[in-house]
Amino acid sequence: MSNENSAKNIILNALVKKNPILVSGMVIAPVVVTANTFLSAATLALTFSVITFFTLVVSSFVPKRIVYTVRIILYTLIGALVYVPSVIILNSVIPGEISKMGIFFPLLITNSLIISRSETIFFRESKGQMILDIVFCIIGYDAAVLLYGLIREVLSAGTAGGKMLGMPYVFSALEYPFGGFILLGAAAALFRFIFMTVKRAGQK
Amino acid sequence: MEVIRNIIITAFTAVFAENTIFSRALGTSTLVIVSRNRKNLAGFGMSVTYITAMVSVLTYFADKLFGISETSYIYIPLVYIVILGSVYIITLLCLWRFAPKLFTKMRKYIHISAFNCAVLGSMFLISKNCETLAEYFFHGIGIGLGFVLAVYLTAIVYDRLYSEKAPYAFRGYPLLLVYIGILGMAFWGLSSHTLNY
Repeated sequence: MSNENSAKNIILNALVKKNPILVSGMVIAPVVVTANTFLSAATLALTFSVITFFTLVVSSFVPKRIVYTVRIILYTLIGALVYVPSVIILNSVIPGEISKMGIFFPLLITNSLIISRSETIFFRESKGQMILDIVFCIIGYDAAVLLYGLIREVLSAGTAGGKMLGMPYVFSALEYPFGGFILLGAAAALFRFIFMTVKRAGQK
Repeated sequence: MEVIRNIIITAFTAVFAENTIFSRALGTSTLVIVSRNRKNLAGFGMSVTYITAMVSVLTYFADKLFGISETSYIYIPLVYIVILGSVYIITLLCLWRFAPKLFTKMRKYIHISAFNCAVLGSMFLISKNCETLAEYFFHGIGIGLGFVLAVYLTAIVYDRLYSEKAPYAFRGYPLLLVYIGILGMAFWGLSSHTLNY
């Protein structure tokens, strides 16, 4: 196994160096719009994980000899088929929460990890590496979404997981999509700053 | 006269008040990719607008055929994906047969202009907000143009967002998000914010 494709490198890339939200800018729309509390962030993380994992794993069996033009339709069709049992099961597990996501739940079918990253990264790897990469990409995404949802809830509503914190001032505009964009931009900058600081400290 | 007024309001709302990127963040990941290359912007814009217009017409017929019921949210995404895939493949076949030069040019980015959250999201939004075929069609065009406007507004400042003058932590992607957020705030003010005196 080459250094570039080592398990450690794949995990580090998926979680940190190419974190889907904080670095690569993938699947941002549902984060910015729906993840404004910790609970809604948890719902998004769960639904994203289920749809993305099963769609990518099933899509990896689509033969490469089929032209890309047709393959991409098959990927989204598989996503739409995975969506059907997912929505039924998740609706019974977390009733009411799925409907709060509105159109952003079915939109996960065409998320950029499935459309773009599958062809450029995932499907070029061996099956084992691919599964590892997908799993840690999803973990990286979920961790970032949960943390983001919690911070956004604290700043915009003064609560954490629904419990009042007694904040002296709240920024209620952060609940809106534009506030979500600004907060996500700040979070991405902070993440890069911390990463560079840790990297420099490691080099010294 | 009222029909024309409704159509204009529908299209105007879709471009400005309910802009796919600035109001709903739909297709932001696509915007991040596309704004890097200003050369393809015109072709990409035409392609997205054409696809949203075509799928919106077919969405109208699908909605009439399948109707809206308590269980439609389970299978409607599959129907919309079939519509989207059909428009995509028919467009590519027509271009390949009748305009091979354009086919070669558009082949690079037509998949990204068809399969993204902005286009699929537009089908759901149109289905919720429109009633007549004309409204479906013009709302579709409006959403496409709104997306192009957002991509253009981002592409024109791309060099500055990625400039070395910007602090390293914010340079590029983080600054791009802050910029979209600020523009989103302006669009939000345009559409729904009222001041009480």
